[in-house]
Amino acid sequence: MSRNAIKWYVQRITGGLLLFLLAAHFWVEHFMTAPARRGDLTYQVIVARVSNPLWQAIDISFLVIALYHGLNGLRDIILDYDFLGRRAVKVLTVALVFVGLLWAWWGITAFRHL
Amino acid sequence: MTSPARGFLRKYRWRFSGMVAWVIQRVTGLLLLFYLFLHIHTVSKLAEGPEAFNQAMATFHSPFFKLLEIGLLGTVVLHAVNGIRITLIDLGIGVERQRYLFWFLTVGIGILIFLAGAIPMFLFAVLKV
Amino acid sequence: MNIRIRIARFPVQGGETFSEFQLVLEERMTVLDALFRVQREMDSSLGFRCACRVGMCGTCAVSINGIPRLACSTLVKSLDSETVTVEPLPNLPVIKDLAVSLAPFFEQWKRALPAFRPRDKESLELARIPADTLFAQLSPGKRDCITCGACYSACTITRTSGSYMGPAAINRALLRLLDPRDAADSERLAILDKEIEGVWRCHTQFNCTATCPRGINLTDSILRIKRALLRRGRSFQA
Repeated sequence: MSRNAIKWYVQRITGGLLLFLLAAHFWVEHFMTAPARRGDLTYQVIVARVSNPLWQAIDISFLVIALYHGLNGLRDIILDYDFLGRRAVKVLTVALVFVGLLWAWWGITAFRHL
Repeated sequence: MTSPARGFLRKYRWRFSGMVAWVIQRVTGLLLLFYLFLHIHTVSKLAEGPEAFNQAMATFHSPFFKLLEIGLLGTVVLHAVNGIRITLIDLGIGVERQRYLFWFLTVGIGILIFLAGAIPMFLFAVLKV
Repeated sequence: MNIRIRIARFPVQGGETFSEFQLVLEERMTVLDALFRVQREMDSSLGFRCACRVGMCGTCAVSINGIPRLACSTLVKSLDSETVTVEPLPNLPVIKDLAVSLAPFFEQWKRALPAFRPRDKESLELARIPADTLFAQLSPGKRDCITCGACYSACTITRTSGSYMGPAAINRALLRLLDPRDAADSERLAILDKEIEGVWRCHTQFNCTATCPRGINLTDSILRIKRALLRRGRSFQA
């Protein structure tokens, strides 16, 4: 299977995973607890959940999967406009990976004091 | 120069449904990427302590932001349901009926799911019923 | 009943304008008939192409009310519009008025290795196509391409990407891939697998399928190649 074929699969697999992760996230933040149902999401309520390393792992996985799907989609859009040569496309890919890692780090460090 | 875009604007929305779907997928995708940026920006305030975080969250309680949230729900639902349609077509299912898949699945089912979420949100958070 | 026909004009010396004419609408008048009427009776400088006039050659493909179609096969009455706007095919360089150069289209066509490459050149056996093969089943629906360029013009990806092969070329590649007598499978698949030029640029908009005057489901052709690339190995089974 070619590399492009694998990427095609991964975009759809991450899309499918995001369906579940997003629905779950929506349930957690709007229905799981009484404060959530009231729309009362304060620091205390949220920290009560994300102090648990399992929830941290789930949230971070969600972020990484979403970042892959979104930034890969963005790369696809840019490639459709075909204004980059072969070398520039490689630079673009590296740049997007870099942006993705930074962005993920930004999200992960939200939990640093917990 | 002309383009199919002008064609479908006239009266060929049905004939060029696939193109409408593509535009929607791209636009919603970019909007969601932008939203993800804003979302992580807010969540990162958890590290700054209760006051900073709660203050950031307080801005989202206004009816205007609740309306934006409803818009976000619509964006997500469109992108997700159309994504399902695209995957079905990629697998060879419904290729001959892709326009029906768009109007009945993406738009039809999409509207149903959207309303299931948007109506309660609107009533409780915007109108404060 | 009168109709108004607006024709895009691209004079050889440059610039772009529209010329407008009033015509009496006749029952079975095609857009090509209207163009002839204009050229013979009103403006002999109008440039357009046609050949067979019966929808077989693909020469008269133009954009009619924004959609790439064959002028000879489009009844003015079927457009259901008081104004008919005729423009040259988009995504292709204009030579004059409604005549475009199909050179970019045929550059991509050649990329698909469109010619048949026999497995066994020396064989004197009659090359039969067994009736139970996928080739026999699918080729009637795929081989009618008259290289009119409508699909290439309708696609929004060829509009922004000069490298993407486009539906017609990929469809031709599919026909060669399906043919059990053809030997160049892996060569063609390697070209079709390229990220910018190949099938991965198709995002299933179906514009090509909607405009093909021969009714070929081009998106389906592209999807079959994508699915073949997703399977392990390089041998082709649609």
